[in-house]
Amino acid sequence: MTTTRRDLFKFAGGAAVGALLSPAPWRLITDTALWSENWPGIPRPARGEISAKFTNCTLCPAGCAVKARCVGAQPVSLAGVAGHPMSRGALCPFGIAGHHLPYHPERLRSGPVQRVAEEVARAMAARQTSEYVAVFDPRPGRTASWTYRRALHAIPGGLYIRPAAPWSGAAVNLDAARIVVSFGMPLLDGWGTPGNVVAAREHFRLIQVEAVESRTAAMADLWLPVRPGQERALAAALAGGTAEGTGIAQELVRQVAGELATNGPALVLGPADWPEIAELNRQCGAAGRTIVARRETPVPEAWQPGAAETGWSAVEDGSLRVLLIDEGAGGGDYVPWSTIERKLAPGAAVVAFTGTPEGYARHANYALPVAVYPEAVDDIPAAVDSPVAVFRLSASLVAPPEGLVSATDFVSHLAGIDAAAALRERADAICAAGRGRVFQTASGAVTALKEMKPDDFWKALSEGGCWLDEPDPKAPPPELSTGAAGFTASFAIAETRGAGLVSPLLSKLHEESHLRLGKHEVALHPSSGFRDGDRAALETGCGRILVVVRRDSSVPPGVVQAAAGADLIDLCGAAESARVVRL
Amino acid sequence: MTSKKETIRPARYGMTIDVDRCNGCGACMVACAVENNVPPAHAGANDRKGLTWIRVYKVDNGQDYPGKRSAFVPVLCQQCGSETPCAHVCPQQAVDVDPATGVVGQMPERCLGCRYCMAACPYHARYFNWWDPAWPKGMEKTLNPDVAPRMRGVVEKCNFCYGRWHEARQRAAAMGKPDTEPVDYVPACVEACPTGAIRFGDLNDAKSEVARGAKEPRSFRLLESLGTEPKIYYQSQRDWVREIASAPRPGAEKGNVNG
Amino acid sequence: MGKIWLVAGLAAGLGAGWVAFPYAIYQRRPQPVDFSHKVHAEKAGQKCEDCHSLREDGSFAGIPGLDKCAGCHAAPMGTTVAEKNFIEQYVTPNRQPQWMDYARQPENVWFSHATHVKLGGMKCEACHGDMGSSDGLRVYQQDRISGYSRDIFERPARLVSLRRTGGMKMDDCVDCHRRNAMEQSCLDCHK
Repeated sequence: MTTTRRDLFKFAGGAAVGALLSPAPWRLITDTALWSENWPGIPRPARGEISAKFTNCTLCPAGCAVKARCVGAQPVSLAGVAGHPMSRGALCPFGIAGHHLPYHPERLRSGPVQRVAEEVARAMAARQTSEYVAVFDPRPGRTASWTYRRALHAIPGGLYIRPAAPWSGAAVNLDAARIVVSFGMPLLDGWGTPGNVVAAREHFRLIQVEAVESRTAAMADLWLPVRPGQERALAAALAGGTAEGTGIAQELVRQVAGELATNGPALVLGPADWPEIAELNRQCGAAGRTIVARRETPVPEAWQPGAAETGWSAVEDGSLRVLLIDEGAGGGDYVPWSTIERKLAPGAAVVAFTGTPEGYARHANYALPVAVYPEAVDDIPAAVDSPVAVFRLSASLVAPPEGLVSATDFVSHLAGIDAAAALRERADAICAAGRGRVFQTASGAVTALKEMKPDDFWKALSEGGCWLDEPDPKAPPPELSTGAAGFTASFAIAETRGAGLVSPLLSKLHEESHLRLGKHEVALHPSSGFRDGDRAALETGCGRILVVVRRDSSVPPGVVQAAAGADLIDLCGAAESARVVRL
Repeated sequence: MTSKKETIRPARYGMTIDVDRCNGCGACMVACAVENNVPPAHAGANDRKGLTWIRVYKVDNGQDYPGKRSAFVPVLCQQCGSETPCAHVCPQQAVDVDPATGVVGQMPERCLGCRYCMAACPYHARYFNWWDPAWPKGMEKTLNPDVAPRMRGVVEKCNFCYGRWHEARQRAAAMGKPDTEPVDYVPACVEACPTGAIRFGDLNDAKSEVARGAKEPRSFRLLESLGTEPKIYYQSQRDWVREIASAPRPGAEKGNVNG
Repeated sequence: MGKIWLVAGLAAGLGAGWVAFPYAIYQRRPQPVDFSHKVHAEKAGQKCEDCHSLREDGSFAGIPGLDKCAGCHAAPMGTTVAEKNFIEQYVTPNRQPQWMDYARQPENVWFSHATHVKLGGMKCEACHGDMGSSDGLRVYQQDRISGYSRDIFERPARLVSLRRTGGMKMDDCVDCHRRNAMEQSCLDCHK
């Protein structure tokens, strides 16, 4: 019998029917659907035991208390600590995603450590007698700052430079204020400790003097849309001068001045280096009421006296042979490079200790990578609105990668001093002073410091706790002196943006919505003729940056608003005016 | 096994958002993305292709400088209670309204990406994954295990942080309680808001803050005339803010809505 | 005559679908350690929850980590080869065994052991079978296409599956929920 093709077809047909009567094809369909659901490249979140760890945020001077939800040892989300006496559970958008910073794609991870050490040693040896070895500390007041001062005291020709501090020894007591006049300060958008401002807000009338209708202006009780560049004139008018040319009616100015005088306690906020602000505060009797004296957090005796604190204006041009910049600490003031550049001697060695390529790393000879928040343990000095001294640490929630350096280790090694236990020594000195109370973040308990042993105090601090000083009843009211004038870029008013690295998730605010101006975005009044999304160049006497324009009638004609960033401050910091040129 | 349906009284979770308190900081937007494993913007993303489950819009009174006054309005899924438009149109039944909580749940795994729901939603509160999610190397360690990441081609939206609801229920179960405590379950945006503008609670519980807040004269809802019965109540003393929310025919509103 | 071919084809199809396919679709992989639940239950007097515990916040600890095992097995406690291998390969170098999870659900599934065990009073055996009396771990069978464990699809130890139920698929969960009048909404079990 021969096998015909028909037989084969019958076999195939029978097999097909048999297969259909079995679970196989249906199971294959299910499996294919299931296979398509496990899309390659979609990460699976790691599982593990959930726990809470506590720390304090170092991204800005507020130092808000943070509760980190951790899976195993890894923080996966951050939130505020509701019972905290200062931050009251508030956390800003930058702080909420702070745990992403160690993984930021642009974060610096390596640098020529050995070469830098050699170069600095060489430069120090080659110094002239009139030349200095300097450390620039944009975030003074920390224990690390004291380490630099001790080290520079030990190095002949050592100089410790910090940004100008016109109100040293004084702080704002917002709780006491009943009327606040703010000259352009972002009081409701990142000033001081946001949680503290919110808590105090119900008690005071806020008058915002600003050319732009900023967030604070939009939410103030009264907004005075001062003509751009006339803010100091308006401050002088409030003190008793004429309001002509300021864009605000004389009658209204008289009314506000009257409120300051009678509806106090009053507080006037503004760039601290405007003598007009100091004068207004003197007139309305802020000293001792809304501006109070604040002592420094205790410091070990052995550390005194340390190198003196110098401002940039007191440094001679061309006198720095070695400049080490500690840009690792968050929340520091970025001083425009043009201010710094002329202080350098020819052939100076400039080293930036930083986590971001965007700041001084652009200008320095060398950039050495440091730990970023929340990898490093550091202390956070009190914010401007903390009426008492504080001491709080940021814990190390994420292990730093290999290859990083520590700026304090580098500098203390140069000077031959041992500052490895500086934070513990400082905590012990505070404990020895015996005053104040300790807020223990995990439990919410507040304990008097004198009831705590040094080991317990250190443990509380390491777990995100906060020491708060007592007010000094014998302190005289603070002197509201004026420091050297800083820069006033009245034409390019910066909108708050995170300094240095921000989490990639901030794209929600910058790219995926128009809530905040992104990097290299500027806002112009519609009358400028630009359309949304137009490419342009922001030009000043110091250079130009390519930008994208957004139309915004909150910005008056003739003013350009941009998001603060190091390159923008370099561009606009020392300039008198800016142009936006269509490309 | 006992039937627990009798002991759990149905809740209707809702929010009150005080527009007069919102300062447009955006903490809610970032906290939402952290909690729900929303990836950072892809290279081509803009405000129309981004993933912002909660998005704060800047609105103003329509006047030019210096008469201009702005306000900030966070918009998220309004959890429509009546004739939920997205649930109605979904061909895949990937949207499910939970009778026990009132939450409108989006199931991205079931979604086939037709985007009919995005057209149906009057609040533009639904977002499409145009690209596969990508986190910078190492950042995937910070993902929340209580929420599943989505692939490209599916729609996603706010579901009142249901992962936190699961965790709260589980915690209660571990203690033998069938119900959660009100304070245990709070979505990420509510927890993050530094000014306390966003409040959350059970609208069915007459004693809760949101139930009382919803009845205040300064409370209103977005596009109320559509009859979707949203569960998010906005509050403002300012009339021009209420007018924008009611949105009469296009071109008739005096105010502006910006991103 | 041709009928034989038809019948032969039918037999081949049925055989392939019912016998060969269920065998071939699963990839068999042994567990890293030949662990005996029976020994630990009887000799060590352990119950399920001693190792597979509910934490304080209600989350389930799942398969115990190396710490739990090393707590007793830092040094050999018996004479089996399996234990010796375990100590050599895992305890001494402090390496976590890569256990294969018979009940691993897809990423978008939320299952709360606390709700089912504590509130619902369910026994482990109801879903996981009688693991406690098994002397050695079953071979882990993984579906080659979808990647899920065989336990998800059907009860283990069957070459051929005649029933749709008995596994840990969504249908199995829904069946039980319906029978107990616990039918709820999608997001109750999905994340």
